[in-house]
Amino acid sequence: MADRRTDTAAPPVSARRRRRGGAATAYALLAPSLVGFVVFLVLPILAVLILSLFEWNFLTDPEFVGLRNYRDLAGDDRALQSIGNTFYYVLLNIPAQTVLALLLALALNSKIKGRNAFRVVYVLPWMAMPVALGVIWRWVFDPVNGGLNRFLGLFGVDGASWLNDTAWAMPVVASVNVWQYTGYTMLFFLAGLQAIPAQLYEAADVDGASRTHRFFAITLPLLRPAMLFVLVTSVIGSFQVFDTIHVMTAGGPAGSTATLNYQIYLESFTQRSAGYGSMLAVVLFAVIAAITLLQVLLFRKRTVYDFS
Amino acid sequence: MTRLRTAAALALAAPLALAACGGGDDGAVTLRYAFWDDPQRPALEAMIDAFNEDHPDIRIELEQTPWDEYWPGLDSQFAGESAPDVFWNHVSRFPAYASSGVLLPLTDRIEEDGLDASVYPEDLYASWQFEGDQYGLPKDWDSIAMVYRLDALEAAGIDPSELDGLEWNPDDGGTYVEFLQKLTVDADGDNALSPDFDPGNVVQYGTAMASSTGQTDWWNYAVQNGCDLQTEPWGDYAIDAPECVEAIEFTADLYNRWGVAVPAEVTNQPNGSLASEQVTAGAAATALDGSWTLGVYRDGLEPGTWAVADNPSGPAGSGTVINGLSNAVYAGTEHPDEAWEFVKFLGSEQAQAIAADLGSVWPGVADLNGRFADYWAGQGVDVSGFQTAAEGTTTGYPLSLDDAAFSTAALDEFNQVWLGDKDAQAAADAVVAIANE
Repeated sequence: MADRRTDTAAPPVSARRRRRGGAATAYALLAPSLVGFVVFLVLPILAVLILSLFEWNFLTDPEFVGLRNYRDLAGDDRALQSIGNTFYYVLLNIPAQTVLALLLALALNSKIKGRNAFRVVYVLPWMAMPVALGVIWRWVFDPVNGGLNRFLGLFGVDGASWLNDTAWAMPVVASVNVWQYTGYTMLFFLAGLQAIPAQLYEAADVDGASRTHRFFAITLPLLRPAMLFVLVTSVIGSFQVFDTIHVMTAGGPAGSTATLNYQIYLESFTQRSAGYGSMLAVVLFAVIAAITLLQVLLFRKRTVYDFS
Repeated sequence: MTRLRTAAALALAAPLALAACGGGDDGAVTLRYAFWDDPQRPALEAMIDAFNEDHPDIRIELEQTPWDEYWPGLDSQFAGESAPDVFWNHVSRFPAYASSGVLLPLTDRIEEDGLDASVYPEDLYASWQFEGDQYGLPKDWDSIAMVYRLDALEAAGIDPSELDGLEWNPDDGGTYVEFLQKLTVDADGDNALSPDFDPGNVVQYGTAMASSTGQTDWWNYAVQNGCDLQTEPWGDYAIDAPECVEAIEFTADLYNRWGVAVPAEVTNQPNGSLASEQVTAGAAATALDGSWTLGVYRDGLEPGTWAVADNPSGPAGSGTVINGLSNAVYAGTEHPDEAWEFVKFLGSEQAQAIAADLGSVWPGVADLNGRFADYWAGQGVDVSGFQTAAEGTTTGYPLSLDDAAFSTAALDEFNQVWLGDKDAQAAADAVVAIANE
């Protein structure tokens, strides 16, 4: 077992010189994707950063307002609510999705009949269009004609108004996204599980370790890289949720499902305050960057195992 | 500053611009024509065909986007300087567009071509003027009237003649609410007036209401209750006045007190079902709906099973809100001459006769109203209710330089009122506070 940090030592000088010779070729090969990176990412990000200091309705010239948009945030109840909504959504989404995905991966990593078919079935929701799924789920949750309430009605249960209920709307949207992304998350856990050497379990068997003990002493620690990747990507994705909300609730009722990312859309495009919306985008970026940094630090503290 | 705006627009639009690269050019000019109401597509296509007979070298590409997405899309295309050459304009957005220079002034072209503007009703034509310039030609006009299913009335034992003179009031609902109660029927066939009525198991409601703006739900009752949505055109919103709040309460009562409207959970916009969908599906018996939706009823119901009646009367009369659309030209178009040719054609008697004969919309050209009515008479539907609605206490669509703040706040607040989660006065106060900021 070696610490990963040991192999990041500087290569010898001669090796560095040799690499410089191929640099031109490398840059040439990188150019096409660099152009895309600059045009599709760097320029828009810069534009948003700059626009956040302006007031702009798309039609007339932008007006420089300095940090006013940022100052206005403190008194903007809807925007503050949307930040709260975002954290609420992430909390509803990530733990459920991660635990479910891990359980599914464990189940499908064992030798059960038809496991390949199951793997495909669980990943299917992720392959479908979120907008199309949103439309279908909206029908399922329709309070009067929807499938769910009709089903509940068979048992004499009066279903809620779901997407029109400020208390229910967010949990419903979050559960749809959990359903959609669990299979995809499971794939990474499956890959992680299959990378764990079988001899560790054999040794544990010899030592008489219980199933639970094996899970916490071997499986979970060795899934750390997969876990880091899954948490970082799914948390970022969760902070940026848009399509499901747009289709299912459009941020309503009473702004209860307007996450920060949706509020950016509402401010920028419905209210035509592109500067203010850009400010919110910068805030979202800062929040995501801080949380991602936190996650990486949290995971980096521990040792990473290397069996190669 | 203009350079800055262009830079901002370019940086944001760079991906779009790249995506838009490519496409051939065979000498013909292609104009993009944007609109939002898909049911009108057949009429637009027929008009374009007629246009192409005289102008085979001008190709028209239709770009349809639903109402809620239409305006954000158009705005960002103005910013990216890639807006459609010709597009449908609405009075709620007209002031903002006209004042910011994205519309091509048509005044000089109208004079040069000696266009006779007197074919349009004077108000309709003038509603597209801003600071002395004309920024569009009337495409149509619209109003609200009661669309109803004859079979539902028959089953309830109501003779259509009883529809004349229906009255509502905020206290006991009046004959209008009684009429809707008779049409609200549960699974056992008991109506809302019966002691055996089960409100939890309704198969048909008296009415359905759904609107992103208020135009086809509470504005009707507001006008009928003497509420002025604004203090004056371009003025402050005044919907916190007692007559307005009373009308908002009455609308909420239809949902929650009387239970005669398809529940707000189903029809709240922007994601809910439309009134026309509820009526054609049999879930509602009537709707106070826009003349532009007639085609939806025609396509969804058997001929002879539905009709149009006058709006009910409230304490202040039977008015509603009338409105019209125009075809406008984008100031940044590369083909202003061709775009004007097309808009001129769309505003002509020849083109609007095509739409009228298809029963698409009430034409902007006044003389053609009869052709539109004739089409519907041929379908067995007397549409004069819409013309009656355009008279009397009826008012024009509210005008504001910033309609977005009002409409977004109003939809958000009133959706809660319809759900029974918020008090009408509190919601009206909140909307006024945001809209008049």
